[in-house]
Amino acid sequence: MRARGVTKTFASGRQEVWALRGVDLDVRAGEFLALVGPSGSGKTTLLNLIGALDVPTAGELLVLGRPIAALSKHERAHLRLQSLGFVFQAYNLVPVLTARENVEFVLELQGAGLDRRARAQEVLAELGLADLTDRRINELSGGQQQRVAVARAVAARPAIVLADEPTANLDGENAETLMHLMRDLRDRHGMTFIFSTHDPRVVAHAVRIVTLVDGRVARDERTGGEPPHTILPAATVQAVGA
Amino acid sequence: MVSTRYAARSVGRNLRRTVLSIVGVAIGCLLALFMESLNRGRGELFARAGSASGLGHVRVVPAGWRGRRDPRLRLADWRADLAAAQAMSGVASVTARARAQVLLAVGTHVVPVELTGVQPDIEPRTFRYVQTIGRGRYLRADDGGALVAGRAIADRLSADLDDEIVATTVGPGGEIQSALFRLVGIVSTGSDDTDLAVCQVVLEDLQRLTGFAGAGEVSIVLNDYREIDRVRARLAGSVAAADEVMTLSELAPDIEGHFKQDAAMTRFVSGIILLIVLLGVASAQLAAVLERRREFAVLAALGMNGPRMVWLIVQEALMLGGGGAVLAVAAGVPLVWKLARSGLDFSRYLGGTYAFQGVLFDPVIYGDFGWWIVVYVSAVAMGATILASLYPAWYAARTDPAVALRVAQ
Repeated sequence: MRARGVTKTFASGRQEVWALRGVDLDVRAGEFLALVGPSGSGKTTLLNLIGALDVPTAGELLVLGRPIAALSKHERAHLRLQSLGFVFQAYNLVPVLTARENVEFVLELQGAGLDRRARAQEVLAELGLADLTDRRINELSGGQQQRVAVARAVAARPAIVLADEPTANLDGENAETLMHLMRDLRDRHGMTFIFSTHDPRVVAHAVRIVTLVDGRVARDERTGGEPPHTILPAATVQAVGA
Repeated sequence: MVSTRYAARSVGRNLRRTVLSIVGVAIGCLLALFMESLNRGRGELFARAGSASGLGHVRVVPAGWRGRRDPRLRLADWRADLAAAQAMSGVASVTARARAQVLLAVGTHVVPVELTGVQPDIEPRTFRYVQTIGRGRYLRADDGGALVAGRAIADRLSADLDDEIVATTVGPGGEIQSALFRLVGIVSTGSDDTDLAVCQVVLEDLQRLTGFAGAGEVSIVLNDYREIDRVRARLAGSVAAADEVMTLSELAPDIEGHFKQDAAMTRFVSGIILLIVLLGVASAQLAAVLERRREFAVLAALGMNGPRMVWLIVQEALMLGGGGAVLAVAAGVPLVWKLARSGLDFSRYLGGTYAFQGVLFDPVIYGDFGWWIVVYVSAVAMGATILASLYPAWYAARTDPAVALRVAQ
């Protein structure tokens, strides 16, 4: 991902609100990057732009080599479907579907074949949810729901996974588990993870921390090495998440 | 397909709204079905009444008759036409007739009528009005000099049974020709208009009176009026070259036009009812879409494109339409069956019978009952709900994920 002078403004009545003021940023494949900063600093806006949910007002933004501003709505939807995964703060799972169906739905949208059910099952098992695949969303705890959301985001093996405050609604233990799982997925599948957060425990897992202040990159630092990370066996994950 | 399961379960999210939508669709379909059944029944009534009034379902006429409707015109070869019609499958009865404009006179009373020369042994099968003679009797094949007339004609002539009536007409060369007939039967149809259309003698008597040989028409009544076009097409190839074949609709365009106008009005009212139902369903679906705006934003964020989202909403609409159709068929089948059996009786408003353009109609209209009910209700229910879902679907497809998620947060 490459951003040069990326600006984003929103109209608020007659006023123009500046969400991003010339962001320059490069993200390489396989990075585990945390976007931090105070509320209103532009973290979610930048995630939305990288996720092709929105287009920049000015500047150049290339995601997987595609200029976001030049893509049509349909092309951006296609890019999201094929190459990007999303994890939302409020999980945003489809409540009338089961855990497996939520994951399978994305694969179906992608046009996956008849093996999509097995693939969904496999991803859920990878995230320690093998026994909960047929549960409706409202029968799962917050931690389990967020893991289903992660499963949905990574099921199609996207190049980039974007997570907006993924641990905001989770307690410390579940937040820790989720970060381990995301690191584990990155290590196994080489996906790039970009997530926004306020949580210092989450930040501690990041390999790179980009701090936004008033819509600008105030600091861009590498943590100087991978933080301690243990790949958890599925049974342990399930026990923690339940 | 997960998307179909998703649509199905979404329909069940707000059961009260779903049930109300289904009931709304069913009521709309039921009303439309009722009216359509009556419309089809009207078509059958037209065919039945028209054919029984002597028009026939199909008629062979002389060349030129279509434009001039001149009763003096005669078929090129009426016996060949009669034989061709009798040989057709699906034909209930066939008869030949000739007509003439005559003046009937008894003493000082004179009445202009259209006198019809008929084949007495067959005529009552194609002309219902002479099946029941009010007074006297009907014609016989060997009834030379006998005449049967409607009550209104007899009244205007002040004639009674066995009275002698003078019939006067113009011959082929323009000469005045007369004959004396004896009134043997008086037909009472219940309507002066139709009584005036009943004045018959034996075919050979008419030929002698007018000086025109042969017959002016071969009238055909079918077992099933829906066969009219088929019989007409086949018969057209077997009648005498100069003669042509006309259908009931062509013979009585005014009556058919009247029925078509009625049908159009009924369908217009059905359309209004369905439009109201459609708006109700659209409103309910739009409410459902608005409630799930965040969900649609997430689906859009995950990469679901507009057409897929439209299809999702349309699937939900199809399920509502399907439910409405099942309910409408369940309620509509017994209703239309009853309508087809007992009919809708308008006699309170129209009297015993009513006449239009010289044709007697029953005041009871029977609905049409058949497999078409299922097809019709399904098509109306599905069509209406798909139309109703288009705006909500378009609205959902327009969801901007970034805006919707930002608003939701």
